[in-house]
Amino acid sequence: MHGRDAYATGKNEDENPASRQPGVEPVRSEAIRTLLTEFRTMSLIGALNIGTTALAVSQAQIQTSGNNIANANTPGYTRQVAGQAPLPSQQIQTGVFVGTGVDLTGIQRQIDQALESRLRAAGSDAAAADTAQQWLGRVESSFNALSGNDLSAQLSTFFNSWSNLANTPQNAGLRQVVLSNGDTVAKTFQGLRSQLAGLSNDAGSQIGAVAGQVNDLAQRVADLNAQIVVTEGGSGGTAGTLRDQRDQILKQLSQLVDVHTVEQANGSVNVYVGSEPLVMNGQNRGIDVKQSVVNGLSTYSAVFKADGGTLNITSGQLGSLVSVQQQISDAVTKIDSQANALIFQLNKIHASGQGLQGATNVTATSAVTDPTVALTDPKSGLKFAPNNGSFVVHVKQNSTGLVSSTLVQVDLNGQPTDTTLNSLKASLAGINGVNATVANGKLSIAAAIPGVEISFSQDTSGVLASLGINNFYTGNNAANIAVNQTLAAQPSLLAAAKNGAPGDNQTALAIAALEGQPIASLKGASLKDSYQSLVNKIATSTAAAKTNAEASKSITETLQAQRDALSGVSIDEEAVNLLKQQRAFQAAAKLITAVDDMMKTLLSMA
Amino acid sequence: MAILPVSIARVSDQLRTNASLSAISKTQADLLAVQNEISTGKRVNSPSDDPSAAAVIQQLQKTLASRDGYATNLQSATSQLGEVDSILSDLTNLLQQAQTIASANVGSDVTAGERQAAAEVIKSITSQALSIANKQFNGVYLFAGDRSTAPPFIDSNGKIKYVGSPTVLQNRFDENTTSPFEVNGEQVFGALTTQVAGTTNLAPSLSSTTRLLDLGGAVGNGIHAGSIRLGNGTTTKDVDLSQAGTVNDVITAINNAGLPGVTASLGTTGIQLTGTGNLTVNEIGGGTTAADLGILTAVGTGAGSPINGQSLAAQVTPLTRLSDLRNGAGLDLSGLTITNGGTTTTLNFAGAQTVEDLLNSINGSKAGVLARINATGTGIDIVNPTQGTSLTISENTGTTAAQLGVQNFTAATKISDLNGGHGVRTGAGADFQVIRRNGTTFSVDADGLNTVQDVINAINTADGGAGVTASFNNNTNGITLTDSTGGAGALTVSPINASLAAGDLGLLIPAVGNTITGADVNPVQSKGLFANLQKLTSALESSNQSAITAAASGLQNDHDRVILVRGQTGAQVQGLEARKTQLDGENIATKSLLSTLQDTDFTTAVTKYQSLQTALQANYQMTAKALHLSLLDFLG
Repeated sequence: MHGRDAYATGKNEDENPASRQPGVEPVRSEAIRTLLTEFRTMSLIGALNIGTTALAVSQAQIQTSGNNIANANTPGYTRQVAGQAPLPSQQIQTGVFVGTGVDLTGIQRQIDQALESRLRAAGSDAAAADTAQQWLGRVESSFNALSGNDLSAQLSTFFNSWSNLANTPQNAGLRQVVLSNGDTVAKTFQGLRSQLAGLSNDAGSQIGAVAGQVNDLAQRVADLNAQIVVTEGGSGGTAGTLRDQRDQILKQLSQLVDVHTVEQANGSVNVYVGSEPLVMNGQNRGIDVKQSVVNGLSTYSAVFKADGGTLNITSGQLGSLVSVQQQISDAVTKIDSQANALIFQLNKIHASGQGLQGATNVTATSAVTDPTVALTDPKSGLKFAPNNGSFVVHVKQNSTGLVSSTLVQVDLNGQPTDTTLNSLKASLAGINGVNATVANGKLSIAAAIPGVEISFSQDTSGVLASLGINNFYTGNNAANIAVNQTLAAQPSLLAAAKNGAPGDNQTALAIAALEGQPIASLKGASLKDSYQSLVNKIATSTAAAKTNAEASKSITETLQAQRDALSGVSIDEEAVNLLKQQRAFQAAAKLITAVDDMMKTLLSMA
Repeated sequence: MAILPVSIARVSDQLRTNASLSAISKTQADLLAVQNEISTGKRVNSPSDDPSAAAVIQQLQKTLASRDGYATNLQSATSQLGEVDSILSDLTNLLQQAQTIASANVGSDVTAGERQAAAEVIKSITSQALSIANKQFNGVYLFAGDRSTAPPFIDSNGKIKYVGSPTVLQNRFDENTTSPFEVNGEQVFGALTTQVAGTTNLAPSLSSTTRLLDLGGAVGNGIHAGSIRLGNGTTTKDVDLSQAGTVNDVITAINNAGLPGVTASLGTTGIQLTGTGNLTVNEIGGGTTAADLGILTAVGTGAGSPINGQSLAAQVTPLTRLSDLRNGAGLDLSGLTITNGGTTTTLNFAGAQTVEDLLNSINGSKAGVLARINATGTGIDIVNPTQGTSLTISENTGTTAAQLGVQNFTAATKISDLNGGHGVRTGAGADFQVIRRNGTTFSVDADGLNTVQDVINAINTADGGAGVTASFNNNTNGITLTDSTGGAGALTVSPINASLAAGDLGLLIPAVGNTITGADVNPVQSKGLFANLQKLTSALESSNQSAITAAASGLQNDHDRVILVRGQTGAQVQGLEARKTQLDGENIATKSLLSTLQDTDFTTAVTKYQSLQTALQANYQMTAKALHLSLLDFLG
């Protein structure tokens, strides 16, 4: 970083060896100089003039110290030091030079621009880590992991209740337990998702708010740039207070966005985000937040207001918020896909199972938008795509207990003859004792004659689960997962059996075994493994953010200590300076009195 | 405490304040963390406290949760099997009582009246046994298998009929094993011992719509549809069959793979691959698809040589079409004649399309029998669930029974098996004499004969072509004698040499016209417990000593069987209890590991707490003192 701000001349420090010391800002006091030259030739007047310069410089010193003391606790204030140097000597006779007094060389801000810049960068990182820690901590706590009643525990309880149902499949109490545990899982999914979605939205609005702050601060930097250029224009001096203000604003800005600055010769700074300028001289390009919605989930990115170009933000509150919001949104996607996998996989097993009794009327819970297209066609509007296969429809005569079964082929080979909702309806309606109708895109299968019950089995196509026939869960993501109301109202329809015998438990066993089964849509992980890896991922990020926050806090503190050491006001120091200047002032006054006496003496001679 | 730069040239007031502040806030934060650790008793409260430990903790919690499930299952299974064990003990006692009564009532010193009284006791024992058979535990009929919602043994015209299921429920008791937790009612009570097991393999032919899940597979493990690698000698092609539902899907997938010179088609029992290349079929990634499909050919047998896939062993399912049975020859639909408990039912299967139609036709009839597909999916069994009635199945003019292999008595039946295994009691020399209608006679020696066909041959040989023909009548299940001598007398079979063979062969039947239609002497008898108790009751009532002895020996078999099942149940309970103990032990180990990972080490935590407290105190004191120091205090 270049400490260009240090030189009112705008010269690079390498080109000006005399100004190597940081923070030396010579300010020429032109008035004093002119005054002095007029009296240079007269020695008594010269002595008086020396007193005058000493008085003026002491006053300036006292004023500087006073200002330092007054601003000792002002945040961002940079200690100023009034520099003084002897005025050039005057030759009063050949080879004899006499001093002409003291000159104020300038009020110097004790600042190390390289340090400031590192401090700003550290501030960016600290703010980023802090924000990440805060938000990820909230995300982590919404999972409620390790508490013994998080989703993972609920899933265990749920699958255990299926396993327990397998002990006595006809037990109405156990059926109710399965249903209410299923409901708890659904509610936990919903709760988790709504918390995460809420956090995601909160982070989104926070991104908007922070972007607003960034714009305000950038605008102030632009304004201050203009003022500094005008104030310092041509005088060669530094507008210390304005620069302090700008430094302070840059510090605030860098906590929001990781900016870096380049100072121009005229005293203004250009502020860059990545390689793109945010503020150029007195111009603020401004930023905007772009919201993109994918699958109902919003993600945000910061763009330049002027041309919509992307800001390459990697740190600062805004950078952190954008990345955290992305993580939350990813977590929501993960939770959704887990709920989706649970719903579809469980339904696939459940749809092929039978309850204690068959149904006289089943209506699909998922509607098909176009009943004339293949069920795999996206135009069908089905959330779960079935595959090529078949299922069996059983029609049971209640009086005799005899069952007649019909194989229904579901052709989904990508051929023109692929099964559509209409063709499925037609093949179902062709079964003796079965009525099939479609209303509002929903397939209804009903007993065509009294005294028969319908059940299904061996669905290798997944079409029943896909259409929502004889399903355990309805919905397709974590927000809308719910236990099928038909089952909740009639637990005897809960399918524990697979072979049609009312006391059979094979479906219950198969569902209990689903707990540990790898699921393709979860990249081969089981439901719980997928959930746990999500929790672990959040935990690792949170822990990393915690560590980062601590580390960058420590770095910031170290840098701040360095800055405080250099630029901070020490009251003791100022008190000593004050004493020193007080004495100098007294001595100068004494000098003037002495010269005055001498002048009087001279005048009385005339 | 922040790390200060190594050399600080000057100390400003801000530096001092900031340094003190950050030291205090850091110590306070650490103190809060330890305080939280101590108050919750947990070192890891949220996963981010220690992500790697949290991952293990979650895994352990998951294991504990599934073990909870197994513990519940074990509890439920042990109490249910324990109940079964005690019930079986009661049943054993009842059977012993019955046997004691039976043996006490054999002998000449017992009067008919006393036997009548004993019969009443046996009736009471029977009803107690019935109540045991229908015992419920926790809402479950213990001996009903997967039909446990209704009593498995019901009264059907004074006989006990089993309406339960031999399929017993299983559950999971640890990660890898499922085992049954019920006792088979069929096994305990001999409930379904009266059965005609189909002797023929009905071998359905493959059709394009045959589902892969209905196939036994070439190696008998079903079809595990994965991917296979086809080769034609020059190139190979991988074919994904995981989506295939039917045999036709497999064939289509192979043909659509587009490997030049390879064509798949459907054989009668398997898949055929033909083509010009040197055909090979290999597994991919350790799968068994090619082997299951019977087309695994690692090394080709030469260009143009086809692969004739092995039989896929299509199973008989309710959906199997009758026309596909017997390798596509189809089933004769003439029907069956079923006689059960004296009631004869004639069934005609005309119009039946599928095996399920056939089964429904039998099961829905008045014959009172249960037709079902056998466990291996190769044929059909006809079971008599009613104890104490005898069952015979014969043709209804066609060949259905023979095709299904369910005829209980055929020419091939061994004579030693006849009459409930008593065989045919022959005497020395000739066993019976046949009087032809023309009055001539011939005698037949049944000694040393093996099958009923041998008897028929012996009769025909003995007749020597003199007008009587013996044959086997498949419609009535018996030996038929036909007289063609044209005489006016009656065709008669009579025993000689005090032999009982004629009766045992079912020939002591009066002729109708020219024909003696022999009786079915191989009815399927029930060996069930209730049948034997009822036999004993009627034997006691009729004071028939040999019948009492026979019933007693039947009861002895029942008793032995119950003891065997009880032993098995006991072993099962023991096994489950051992598993429970093991599970408890495993839980202790897991919980202790969990505690090590998750719980606070109080000694460390409290020590840390105290040292932090001291540090904080020192910070406070130092800050108070240091910030107080100012030069101003010392200036005049």
